[in-house]
Amino acid sequence: MSVIALNNIRKEYNMGEQTFRALDDVSLTIDENEYLAIIGPSGSGKSTLMNIIGCLDVASSGEYVLQGKPVKKMTETELAGQRNKSVGFIFQSFNLIPRASALSNVMQPLIYRFISAKERQKLATEALEKVGLGDKLNHLPSQLSGGQRQRVAIARALVTKPDILLGDEPTGNLDSKTTNEIMALFDELHREGHTIILVTHEQEIAEHCHRVIRLVDGNVVSDTRNSEEKTYV
Amino acid sequence: MFKSFLAIIEGTKAALQAIRANAMRSALTCLGIIIGVAAVITVVAVMQGFTKQINDQLADMAPDVTTIKPYTTPQQEMLGKRSYLTVNDFETLKGKVDGFDTITAQMMAFRFQGAVEYKGESHNTRVVGTESNYQKAYRIYPESGRYIRPQDDEKRRRVAFIGESLIEKLKLPKNPVGEYIKLGGEWFRIIGVAEKQGSFLGFDQDDYINIPISTMQLLEGNQRKPYFQIMFRLKADVDEAKTLAQMKRILRQNHKLTKDEHDDFEFETAEKARENIDKFTGSATAITAGIVGISLIVGGIGVMNIMLVSVTERTRIIGTLKALGATPGFIMLQFLVEAVVLSLFGGIIGLVTGYGAAAAISAIVPGMPDAYIPMWAILLSFGFTSAIGVIFGLVPAIKAARLNPIDALRYE
Repeated sequence: MSVIALNNIRKEYNMGEQTFRALDDVSLTIDENEYLAIIGPSGSGKSTLMNIIGCLDVASSGEYVLQGKPVKKMTETELAGQRNKSVGFIFQSFNLIPRASALSNVMQPLIYRFISAKERQKLATEALEKVGLGDKLNHLPSQLSGGQRQRVAIARALVTKPDILLGDEPTGNLDSKTTNEIMALFDELHREGHTIILVTHEQEIAEHCHRVIRLVDGNVVSDTRNSEEKTYV
Repeated sequence: MFKSFLAIIEGTKAALQAIRANAMRSALTCLGIIIGVAAVITVVAVMQGFTKQINDQLADMAPDVTTIKPYTTPQQEMLGKRSYLTVNDFETLKGKVDGFDTITAQMMAFRFQGAVEYKGESHNTRVVGTESNYQKAYRIYPESGRYIRPQDDEKRRRVAFIGESLIEKLKLPKNPVGEYIKLGGEWFRIIGVAEKQGSFLGFDQDDYINIPISTMQLLEGNQRKPYFQIMFRLKADVDEAKTLAQMKRILRQNHKLTKDEHDDFEFETAEKARENIDKFTGSATAITAGIVGISLIVGGIGVMNIMLVSVTERTRIIGTLKALGATPGFIMLQFLVEAVVLSLFGGIIGLVTGYGAAAAISAIVPGMPDAYIPMWAILLSFGFTSAIGVIFGLVPAIKAARLNPIDALRYE
């Protein structure tokens, strides 16, 4: 079953008098529990595509159906609801709230679900334990290493139990050892049934995923499936 | 309900965090509000202290005494005429009207406005000519000696009953009865000293001299018309309206007023005096409120400014929160609450400062009553500062709510 269906998506930005076309005509279907990488040179539109998939941005034209619901007519508040429920974001620069503890950071998205404080704490603790940070609940982001910060961010994306995890260069700021650890974590989440979509420019990461979409100038130029799965060690 | 509650908690947390992280900046931001609230509280506290004391004093002074004063209409005033009451008015009223519990008169004369002297010491005081019933009307109790008696008045004796402060001011002996003081160029013998009254609104109530009214008149001569007032208290069982009407008739007759001429006198009760004082404190409070309003608006602009800075500083965080599912409404409410908390923080500091200032004023200025802050002033300042927070927090909150998530996430 497809969780994401994009049909003739176009995205244009007005830059003064000129119009910049970030996405030209993208049609794409992503099924449940796929492990997908979006690659392409910079400026090819991969982040824009990611933003549209994650409901952070809306297409200028075309149809986008997320989990059976058309996104086109949604209000800003409804889009916020989709971001909260359907997707979990993981950013290249982690985007943690600097003055809040790991636990508070992970609890944050649950606030928008209007879950009681006690329940929030329980769910956030579970999520942090899952990413191996059960002993760092009260650490501030500044007291954690890069890999640990990204784990907190992943826990934050996971805590609302979304079907889809969106990573925008999630390992871009990490060294190779930590990259391996984080990718192992994504593998595990994939095995548990999450749909994982990663934007990356690292060939290794792309090869690690099961399906690779290549964008050039706002168009999908290739859509390939990796024959054999590689496992990080 | 629960949604708003969560947003309020989030906003409060964020605000407290911001205040803690930038204590100096927050205090400076709130300076306008701090000054505004401190000013309100100081003025209100001092004013309320005054009003409270005035009311207390009026209560135990002579609230039941009505004063008849000369009244000059504005038209006559422009013609250079002045109205006067005379001893004759006093005598007629006393003779013709029944139902006085007591009636007395007082007079102030030009000749006695100078200094009073005693053995090389001199002091300016209030010299009032009056007669024996004055003691009854104003419940004056001699500490030593006696008050003016009818015989003193009849025989125009040169005797003086003095307030307690004069002992110190003129370096009189402890018991000054029998000593001679010089008043308006004449020697007067001290016959009594009044019980100490203390000061009222910084005004020494024991700094006065009473002399017999006839003595004062004699010495003043007929060149000038002295300022004359009649004070009376009616018996409890008397029909007040009827008696007052009768008194008015008598006075109009005495003054030969025609039908369409305005009364050239007025009746003033303690109640009316209190109203006048209330009017005065009321307008003083209103003026301060205006000044304070301006400083609070300036304070509000300070809050708005810092909130705009804060929204800009936290653009990336706002973007992240939006990516995590924060709705525009939630973000807006959170920032509004933050502005309100910041304002209230200023309000609390202002309240404490204002109370301190009022307490300091009443401690330093002699005769100043204790500062008193009524509950309504506290609630009003908190209400007002909250309103300032909401009003001036609105623009930054809307700005935060409207941020485009992608631009916000990319913001460096």
